[in-house]
Amino acid sequence: MRLKPFLALPALLALSCCNTGDYRLFHPLTQIAAVQWWATLFEVGIMSIVIVPVTILIAVFIWRYRKSANAAYDPTWSHSLVLEILVWGVPLVIVAICGVVSIRTTRQVDPYAPGILANTQAAKTPLDIDVITTDWQWLFIYPGQHIASVDELVIPEGRVAHFRLTSTSVVNTFFIPAVVPMIDIMPGMRTEDTFDAPKAGAYTGFSADFSGAGFSWMQFTTRIVSQADFDAWVAKAAASPRQLNYTAFTQFAQPTLNEGAKISYFANPSPGLFENVVGAAQAGVVYPVSDRETRSIADLDAGTAAQAPK
Amino acid sequence: MQVAIQGPWSPLFGRLTLDAIPYTNPILIATFAVAAVIGLVVVGAVLYYKKLGYLWREWLTSVDHKKIGVMYIILGLVMLFRGFADGLMIRTQQAIAIGPNSPGVMGAQHGFIPPFHFDQVYSAHGTIMILFAATPILTGLTNVVVPLQIGARDMAFPYMNALSLWLTTAGAILVMLSLFVGDFSAAGWVGLIPLTELPYSPGVGVDYWMWAIQISSIGTTLNAINMIVTIIKMRAPGMSWFRMPVFTWTTLSTNIIGLTAFPVLGAALALLTADRYFGAHFYTAGNGGNLMLYTNLFWIWGHPEVYFLVLPAFGIFSEIIPTFAEKPLFGYTTMVAATFAIAGISWAVWLHHFFTMAAGPDVNGFFSVATMLVGIPTGVKVFNWMFTLYRGRLTFTTPMLWALAGLFLLLLGGLTGMMLAIPAVNYTVHDSVFVIAHFHCMVLLIGAAMFAAVSYWWPKVFGFQLDEKNGLMFFWTFIAATIIVFIAMFALGFEGETRRLDYIYDPAWRPMLWTEEAGMLLYCVSIGYFIRMLYVSLRDRVPVPSDPWGTSRTLEFLTHSPVPFYNFAVTPQVNTRDELAWRRENGLNNVQPEAFEPIHMPSNSGIPFIIGMLSLGFGFGLIWRIWWLAGFALLGIIIAVIIRSFDKNLGYELSAEDVAAMERNLSSAGIAAEQPARTPLTEAEAH
Repeated sequence: MRLKPFLALPALLALSCCNTGDYRLFHPLTQIAAVQWWATLFEVGIMSIVIVPVTILIAVFIWRYRKSANAAYDPTWSHSLVLEILVWGVPLVIVAICGVVSIRTTRQVDPYAPGILANTQAAKTPLDIDVITTDWQWLFIYPGQHIASVDELVIPEGRVAHFRLTSTSVVNTFFIPAVVPMIDIMPGMRTEDTFDAPKAGAYTGFSADFSGAGFSWMQFTTRIVSQADFDAWVAKAAASPRQLNYTAFTQFAQPTLNEGAKISYFANPSPGLFENVVGAAQAGVVYPVSDRETRSIADLDAGTAAQAPK
Repeated sequence: MQVAIQGPWSPLFGRLTLDAIPYTNPILIATFAVAAVIGLVVVGAVLYYKKLGYLWREWLTSVDHKKIGVMYIILGLVMLFRGFADGLMIRTQQAIAIGPNSPGVMGAQHGFIPPFHFDQVYSAHGTIMILFAATPILTGLTNVVVPLQIGARDMAFPYMNALSLWLTTAGAILVMLSLFVGDFSAAGWVGLIPLTELPYSPGVGVDYWMWAIQISSIGTTLNAINMIVTIIKMRAPGMSWFRMPVFTWTTLSTNIIGLTAFPVLGAALALLTADRYFGAHFYTAGNGGNLMLYTNLFWIWGHPEVYFLVLPAFGIFSEIIPTFAEKPLFGYTTMVAATFAIAGISWAVWLHHFFTMAAGPDVNGFFSVATMLVGIPTGVKVFNWMFTLYRGRLTFTTPMLWALAGLFLLLLGGLTGMMLAIPAVNYTVHDSVFVIAHFHCMVLLIGAAMFAAVSYWWPKVFGFQLDEKNGLMFFWTFIAATIIVFIAMFALGFEGETRRLDYIYDPAWRPMLWTEEAGMLLYCVSIGYFIRMLYVSLRDRVPVPSDPWGTSRTLEFLTHSPVPFYNFAVTPQVNTRDELAWRRENGLNNVQPEAFEPIHMPSNSGIPFIIGMLSLGFGFGLIWRIWWLAGFALLGIIIAVIIRSFDKNLGYELSAEDVAAMERNLSSAGIAAEQPARTPLTEAEAH
């Protein structure tokens, strides 16, 4: 009995080792992330039905049948029909259950049209946001609000955000842990993603797919705020003197390392900018990174690169 | 049509200029100094002891499957060490470059490696570990063991076997060259598209990566053909399909995978070559290209490649566990069925590497279920190994410990693999370090199997024991390091840390990253024990009998240790599965043949080595766009092939007296012995 607290020690050590105290994925914010977390727990649980006993049995056999123990030794036993049916049958049943769960949860969290939100009122009137990634910044365009923000995503509480995503250059992956399922962002193509924003909070989003020398600095701030704060934020962004037409965008999209992910705003993005960017990439517009730039990202600090796209 | 490239180009040197030599990088200068010293010592020793002729006649031109296997393993171990050094640099960079206030030295803003260099380091780490460490070591092991296990004299095509080795070596040399001449790819070992296209990777790095893989994978494909034919056609009399050892079965299935998968990689890279060299648009985002095509093609090879590596590992466990449990493998038939089930499913799961690439829920669902199906035969294998332990008589030698540790790694890797197979879960940890920790469980399982196999078959091949004391220390430190590094990495995965970060933006991860670094230092200690193990073993050279373990079950332990170059003085007649165990039980394991017969052996040939080195020149010429070099090298290869085609060498014959003499004096036929020149057969003698 008195041993018990000590047995918990390694587990406690492991937990306290990460002094944030919160493994981000353990604390899902959105309904979608909650399904994902549930699927994680379910999978670990059902696999444990096999893995835990097998691990223990292997350990027990290793101990019990060591040569020096002189335990029962049967050098001929190598076949048992019952056991062979079991060793195929048990994994088969588990995989069947996991398969059903997998297909169901995949539909529930489908980034394009998550089943879990299908019947909610908020999903019928989503907040549309267009996301364009460059080397190596995030541009969030709010077509309904006529603003765009760099490296900052703000969502009003209670709304469902629906994203269209594309890239100017290479592939990125859109991800905010505990908030949104990952989706790839590809040049010349459009992908979609969705999440609900049940309560206020601040999160860090980032690209999960390597995109070149500036990749490690490619984060964005994500804030879920009250409607009033959102309106105030929109007004602040709308007051920005910088306008965003396609020409201004081609300047913005030059390879730029935004150290510290500094936030800035554009007012009045051109309608159809997103489609223009997709179309341009399909037509072969690229934003090359020069050999010199790949070698020294110091050359890529904001504002130094300003050549026209080729 | 040749595309415009950045930077200068000259007809004589192509893109190669003095700037390509990184003489300003202190890390590379130190590395070069160490490599140069080791190289000079090796060359000096060879010349001082006048072993150059021996090296050429007995090794570089050898077509003996054991020597080729050993050279494969040496190549793999050297590359394994290089890959580990890269891993150590990645972990050290991440342990330093945490947060905006972290220090930076040697030209880096944070840490000690600037991003462009860091990206090369992790790309090289992956490429080397998978293609130039694990693949050659496992190929080498199958090369050494399979012909012996099936009672064959050699591989079906000994000459082609040597060619495979030297093509793989040429690829490995290219990877190493990129350290000191130019750069390596900075776009991941998978070649992230369109990052590998010219606009985003204008340098020679991607070309190094591409040609190194292309050349070595031709070698791997040829080896797959060789293995399949050997297993089908070269088995000793009585060795029916269901008497074959499980390692031979897994080698057969793995090479069927290799033969079907590697050409896909070759094609995928050829299309990328067209993009980079001729301005084609197979994979570009614009002008009608489709970058998703590359990702699909790469993983249509990439996932079977995982099973290409893991199946021999499973075969190794299936040999070692019965030997040291002193009983037959439980469920032999199911084990073979499970092997082929895994191989079969391996072709239908590739999309799980990119669930996030916006395929619909139906497509993702299909590949999710297909992926989970792999869990069934894999589960069967674990159960069968477990039941093999049941009522056994276990001895914990180093090979056995490695095999058992591999089982535990497989359980952890399997659990996390099943998690990743669910798209809903995958959407939260894809491209995070959770995935890295998962597949390192799997590749370290393969690593455990490789160390198990090397310590298991070493005494067989070389005729003396590997030092057990240092071997055990190597094992325990290695396993402890593995636990420390990868448990911490799983935890960071749940934090959402992405892979390939050269700068850590969240300081809260520091304790875990430092834990990982501590584990890496422990790995360094384990390498020390590994080197000491080799040193002590080579120094003491404790000779062993034909069955060094006393409880081995398969045919390779029937012949002498070290194995004579002709393998078996008399081809054995196989009576049952686990032939040696059966002979031991019936007191037949030491029966000597009454008379010897002449043995027909293949002659050595220098052409494979020459073709390998010409391929190196061909690759180097293409990488630097030195067209004349590539052209002459290709011409040289064609001429070498023509010369070989008209070569009338029919091999030589060992007379019965020679064989009898060598059977009396075993060391004269061992792997280290130098053979006298033997005259090839004439056409008349051969008929």
